[in-house]
Amino acid sequence: MPLDPAVLKREFPEFELRVERGKIREYALVLGLQDPVHTDPEAARAAGYPDVVAPPTFVRQFWHENPDNDPMPHLGYDPKRRLHGEQEFEYLKPLVAGMVLRGRNAIVFHEEKAGKRGGKMTFVVIETRFADEKGELVQVARRTLIETAAPPKVEG
Amino acid sequence: MATQTAGLTYAKWDDLAEGAQRELSVGPITRTDLVRYAGASGDFNPNHHDEIYAIRAGFEKPFAQGMLQGGYLGRALSEWLGPTALRRLRLRFSAQAWPGDMVISKARVTRRYEEAGEKRVEVEAEAVTQRGDVLIKATATAAPQG
Repeated sequence: MPLDPAVLKREFPEFELRVERGKIREYALVLGLQDPVHTDPEAARAAGYPDVVAPPTFVRQFWHENPDNDPMPHLGYDPKRRLHGEQEFEYLKPLVAGMVLRGRNAIVFHEEKAGKRGGKMTFVVIETRFADEKGELVQVARRTLIETAAPPKVEG
Repeated sequence: MATQTAGLTYAKWDDLAEGAQRELSVGPITRTDLVRYAGASGDFNPNHHDEIYAIRAGFEKPFAQGMLQGGYLGRALSEWLGPTALRRLRLRFSAQAWPGDMVISKARVTRRYEEAGEKRVEVEAEAVTQRGDVLIKATATAAPQG
């Protein structure tokens, strides 16, 4: 489906996210992170952090929280052909439990290309900027979402 | 209290020559790992837990979220260079990982330099399976402790 120009231009509202100890702990345990700075507030303080430290890909979890502020559900992608092609993070300040971030999503790139076996491939890059209470940028995440070309119909 | 870091010592910039390497193997991945990661991340795409849905979408069975193996690769870098050493991480996903697969993250320092008042390294990394399938190609910038 062609991308809707109105969605490409739309401004998505800012959202708040509270960075919680329990969520950091859960995320760190799933990945098996060994350093207790991710799970034990005492260990985090001993290492010089105010609270437990988020693992590097942690902000991934917030993207699905609210379809109102996330462009992804509005792209019109067929979920069966949707791929997460690329993911980038920029880290400007340590992310620790107790921080309250303001996040905002924007579509920063889009392209449609002919697929190798017919149909059209679509690329969209969604950038999420997370700032702290002072308005200083903490992390920037960019995800490239691809809709692969529809597979050719073999039979009717 | 610092002993609680349980033997985790991080590489220091001074000791990180160009070509320094690190490897971390995780797995085999189980379906339970996929479900736990869905809960931890909020990625409830049914391709990662619903067998019938995944088969109807053309897959043999549910497969891992790209960000699960991306998370393992991030862990490999974080446990090598320090929990807040990363300045940038770019992951390019090239294949699916399936339940039963190992995810082997391999990272290598390609450049050592000073920038923005920090001692930094550029790192090239990839995550591969036990079959040698490349799951992710990655680049990173980090500022390990001097």
